Amino acid sequence: MVKKYGMIVDITRCNGCYNCFLACRDEFCGNDYPGYSVAQPFSGQFWVKVIEKERGQYPKVKVAYTVIPCMQCEKPSCVDVSSNKAVYQRLDGIVIIDPEKAKGQKQIVNACPYRVIYWNEEKNIPQKCTFCAHLLDQGWKEPRCVESCPTKALVFGDLNDPDSEISRIIATAKGKLEVLHPEYGLMPKVQYIGIPKRFVAGEVVFRDKKDECAAGVKVTLSSKGNADKVTKTDNYGDFEFEGLDADKDYTVSIEHSGYSAKKVKVKTNIDTYLGEILLGKIAVKNK
Amino acid sequence: MAGEQKWDKVVRTTVWSAGAGCHGGCGAKLFVKDGKVMKVEGDEDHPWNQGRSCPRLLSLTQYMYHPDRVTYPLKRAGERGEGKWVRISWEEAFDTIVQRLTEIGDKYGRESVLFCQGTGRDIGGPISLLAYSYGSPNWVQFGLSGQSCYTPRLVAMFATMGDYAVADASQFLEKRYNDPQWTPPRCIIVWGQNPPPTCPDAFFGHWIVDCMKRGSQLIVVDPRVTWLASRGKYHLQIRPGTDGALALGMMNVIINEGLYDKDFVDKWTYGFDQLKERVQEYTPDNVAEITWIPKEDFIAAARFYATSKPAAIHWGMPIDMNPQATVVAQAISHLWCITGNVDIPGGNVIARPSHGVTAYPYSTAELERLYGQEFIKNILSRKIGASRYPMVRDFRHWAQPDLAVDQVLSGDPYPIKAAWIQTTNILGGQAADTRKHYEALKQLEFIVVVDLFHNPTSMAVADIFLPAATFAEKNSLRSWWTPLSALVKAVQVGECKSDWEINLELARRFNPKGVPWKDVKELFDSRLEVSGLTFDQLAEKGSWEMAREGHPSKPYRRYEKGLLRPDGKPGFSTSTGKLELWSKCYEGWGLDPLPYFEEPPESPVRTPELWEEYPLILVSGARSSVFFHSEHRMIPWLRELDPHPVVEINPQTARELNIEDGEWVYIESKRGQVKRKAKVTPIVPPWLVMAPHGWWLPETQGTEPYLFGIWDYNINQLIPTGCQSQSGYGGGAYKTMLCRITKIKEGRE
Repeated sequence: MVKKYGMIVDITRCNGCYNCFLACRDEFCGNDYPGYSVAQPFSGQFWVKVIEKERGQYPKVKVAYTVIPCMQCEKPSCVDVSSNKAVYQRLDGIVIIDPEKAKGQKQIVNACPYRVIYWNEEKNIPQKCTFCAHLLDQGWKEPRCVESCPTKALVFGDLNDPDSEISRIIATAKGKLEVLHPEYGLMPKVQYIGIPKRFVAGEVVFRDKKDECAAGVKVTLSSKGNADKVTKTDNYGDFEFEGLDADKDYTVSIEHSGYSAKKVKVKTNIDTYLGEILLGKIAVKNK
Repeated sequence: MAGEQKWDKVVRTTVWSAGAGCHGGCGAKLFVKDGKVMKVEGDEDHPWNQGRSCPRLLSLTQYMYHPDRVTYPLKRAGERGEGKWVRISWEEAFDTIVQRLTEIGDKYGRESVLFCQGTGRDIGGPISLLAYSYGSPNWVQFGLSGQSCYTPRLVAMFATMGDYAVADASQFLEKRYNDPQWTPPRCIIVWGQNPPPTCPDAFFGHWIVDCMKRGSQLIVVDPRVTWLASRGKYHLQIRPGTDGALALGMMNVIINEGLYDKDFVDKWTYGFDQLKERVQEYTPDNVAEITWIPKEDFIAAARFYATSKPAAIHWGMPIDMNPQATVVAQAISHLWCITGNVDIPGGNVIARPSHGVTAYPYSTAELERLYGQEFIKNILSRKIGASRYPMVRDFRHWAQPDLAVDQVLSGDPYPIKAAWIQTTNILGGQAADTRKHYEALKQLEFIVVVDLFHNPTSMAVADIFLPAATFAEKNSLRSWWTPLSALVKAVQVGECKSDWEINLELARRFNPKGVPWKDVKELFDSRLEVSGLTFDQLAEKGSWEMAREGHPSKPYRRYEKGLLRPDGKPGFSTSTGKLELWSKCYEGWGLDPLPYFEEPPESPVRTPELWEEYPLILVSGARSSVFFHSEHRMIPWLRELDPHPVVEINPQTARELNIEDGEWVYIESKRGQVKRKAKVTPIVPPWLVMAPHGWWLPETQGTEPYLFGIWDYNINQLIPTGCQSQSGYGGGAYKTMLCRITKIKEGRE
């Protein structure tokens, strides 16, 4: 069966060491691979880039790194805009820019909504990650970036081979896998685990028992009147809703028997730590 | 290119010192063609890193063949600081150095020459060889206030255990995680370190991640939300400088709730009752108030640590930068003692130089073995700091840095007239109070700098510049815990020589009788004798070998087997044979035998008026993945990833100060101001700012008065000297000073 190469980036595992970036530079800077790519300039291009993302507010903060190579789309928009078949997709799915044919075709850079194609001013060509196709064709099992990853955050392999590591991960990680910007509709073959989404977190405190942690308090997250998620505060009175969509209006409702319920409105334009939310005791009237 | 290119050879070697720059240990494969290293990869057969590498290693060729690298000896042609140099031969360089240092030694005494080193790389061996062959006791980490790097932790462990210990990530076992003897720690406390970037203290950062994959859960003690902290079960966001209180508070919980290992404590420790009494002063409420950590958080963490066996503690340099650091480290080491996590798989295992080979002298005992008891005794009393600090006199043969700089300036009790500065960029790096060290060095009559690139220190003060080799260009030896490793020379670059080659040649000239070895390989062979290997044999094995089972440098449970004490009896190598929670060593040095807490010299608590004026805690020294201390700023691919000297500011604080992300700001303290680019980030709390150290700009003017921008950007200008602990070790206030952030107004820049 024909090979179909893909990559999985497990963001939960990436600790931002930049080895992938350095290995890529080492492979492509100053080195032409005829038929695949011409040398990457010594600075300015990021064929595999690492984006640092820190989100939340003190004291509730999360840190993650997202690795972004060429997505090797199944429906590559760069192919469509190129003339003279300067950009083409190989049988194994790798998208290659022919450096000779692509001369002067700046529209190829702009066609990529992922912004992973770079313009080489000196040589007048667009350039990008090739999944190290020149190495794969010599029998390498994975590109240099994947080989250099110390945490196994990057996994590479043949999507058509059910026994490959990548296929096994896909089979077991169902539901966890996503692509960046699915709305582009380009069907990337680089898939992700743990793309940072939005979170809403906070701490519940009983107004009458400030020294005690308000554990086991019911917290509901709802949007447009529908309860989306329900959780309970942990032993410290903390709660968290993770993996939320961006730019949505939510209401956080906190209820506990004997206490007045409280509602807080949140918009997930940013990750939000609500801080301490005080619950007051319902006054019991003497008969 | 890897597949098709024919290499002339692939050299398997060990990474340590210049190049990657770090504390090393990794196995690397160097791909050589036409006498040049073309490519570097991690060695997949090396148990340390198992094929992995890092950005600094991957960009090694840019470092080795950098156009600015100095590749032949230089002598100064103009005035100091003018940047005028002429090329000289090694012969002329050696002759000049011998002549000048002999003159100065004859006139002022040999102790008038300082031998200065930086951090723990392949330098302690060669520099002590040279200092002692010349006859000076003053071998010193010049500039590093309080010698606040690992030494306080080492002495605390030595005093308590008679040995040193490290978190066990299976690094002593050839099969590593697959060895059935090993079990992952159920809990790891990562205390004051961010190990993945730059892997400090002979500990490969990814080992923590490897353990996490095998089930270890983390307690992270750090004021910043590091990647590890954001994945910890507990993150204790501590106020800098209060680690001692936290350790005592955790012991309070563990002891009072009866969670310690009673059998182990009864059998193997000394002074538990006194410790129990001492920790009563540190109630959770007190400790929460001191550390700014909610008490339920550290109570839960203490319980989790004590009830998760095996559990390990991995700690970092901020411990050494606490006030009274030697007792802070003592308190933390007590945690693994009272929970019985000593020398067991997945605990804190005793670490000794592999095979008993000494490539780097850690203690007086080892120095005596290397240089002879008589000689060491002779020079002991003249060492700077020895008469004031018994611990400094006895434990390790470094002079005390704060007193050293004062003595250069005062000439009291004897004059200092020259300095040998070897692979340490004092003014761009570790020196606290940069200006003071600059003034002091300027006064010296003769200064040799051995380094790879010009830097602010060489520009300001060098009279002779000797070009040093990277790890890829030298043979050397490493036994820093495990495995026993060889650095194997792959290529020659210019006329560069290794620190060992340079120092052996000069040592021979100063003391021909004391240097019987014809070359460095012969010296290494003599050091290696106890291992039964020669240098070449070790190199042929792929550059490493693990100690055999049953050797005193191989875990586990050596205290039960009688492998630790010279008399061969079970127990620890202390006077009582037990882990001394009440330290007889400390008592002998005239110090409190039990740990306690002291406020930092400047703090919201100790100096509230200053806190009003300077309402932020200034932490320097967080690590970058792409730099090691003051190195690598000239390496293009690395600099591109971390281009600016930044200061991390919490978004709330930035908003209050009307500061935007990316804006240039001043960090001001009562000692001066430093310019930085604001990095607005939630990973620091609102009451703290973090400014990375070691910043100078090699692309800017190096001559006086600019010195590559250190007076604008070097954060250590704001750190004072003289804050050393009562013991002489530790206390450098690199993480606890107070500051404020101000906008740079137009026209002021």
